Amino acid sequence: MDEQLAWYIGGPVLGLCVVALRWLLNERLGATRAWADAVALRFGGVHAWLLLGLIAGGVVFGLAGAPVDGYGWLTDTFTAWVVVPILVASGVLIGYGARLAGGCTSGNGLSGNAALSPAALVATGTFFGTAIVVSFAIEALL
Amino acid sequence: MKRLAAFVVGAVFGLTLSWSGMTNPDVLRDGLLFRDAYLMLFFASALGTAFVGLRVLKLLQARALLTGEPVAWSTVRPEKRHVVGSVLFGVGWAVADVCPGPIAAQLGQGIPWALATLAGLVLGFALFSRRSAAVAG
Repeated sequence: MDEQLAWYIGGPVLGLCVVALRWLLNERLGATRAWADAVALRFGGVHAWLLLGLIAGGVVFGLAGAPVDGYGWLTDTFTAWVVVPILVASGVLIGYGARLAGGCTSGNGLSGNAALSPAALVATGTFFGTAIVVSFAIEALL
Repeated sequence: MKRLAAFVVGAVFGLTLSWSGMTNPDVLRDGLLFRDAYLMLFFASALGTAFVGLRVLKLLQARALLTGEPVAWSTVRPEKRHVVGSVLFGVGWAVADVCPGPIAAQLGQGIPWALATLAGLVLGFALFSRRSAAVAG
């Protein structure tokens, strides 16, 4: 797992996960819902278990794959004392924003769009557009 | 059995996210800056596969294998909250170069920075719950 998985394998496998959860359990795959259930300790439903699976998938890769050095542009630019508050603030925006929008990159971006939900199409266009603009803005400021 | 199934699907999802570099902030950033087509091709092929798969389930009038209920879903009309929420989400996504699924996979990999993002995520959820309670009250 030292080399990045080819997109034409990784993408379809990710898409099949959305289909699998729908076919097995008739549930929408969304990491935000999974996190929300997990942090509220709602382990009666299936979504918190999906979250535990996500972590487990990371554990497997952590044992077998190539580790990440540092943390991207943030640790290239700032010391840890600055990076940590920036990550916390980003996490607040990600958490609040995803809950408000009814999903994140998986819930709206994959599951919602695949179901042709108009709200998901609007949300996805908005967060991709915003993220691209912000990334270029950071690039211009660095 | 249902929980195990969700766990296994989550594990495949988390491993795939990790292996395709979605837990590596440099991969995300290069994608959003169009330096590397990987992110967009990865996302588009995932979405295309999910779209076709769900259509097939609908055409077959499939029943959920573990619950027996008919496979069905509802769609949502766009509202202002979808735009506002996604703008906030997009800012956080671009700055931290990570979204909720990969945060979980990063934790599994033992990337310590994910703890900071997770702390923020939980705080964001709490703020949202307070707002929802205020709106409902």
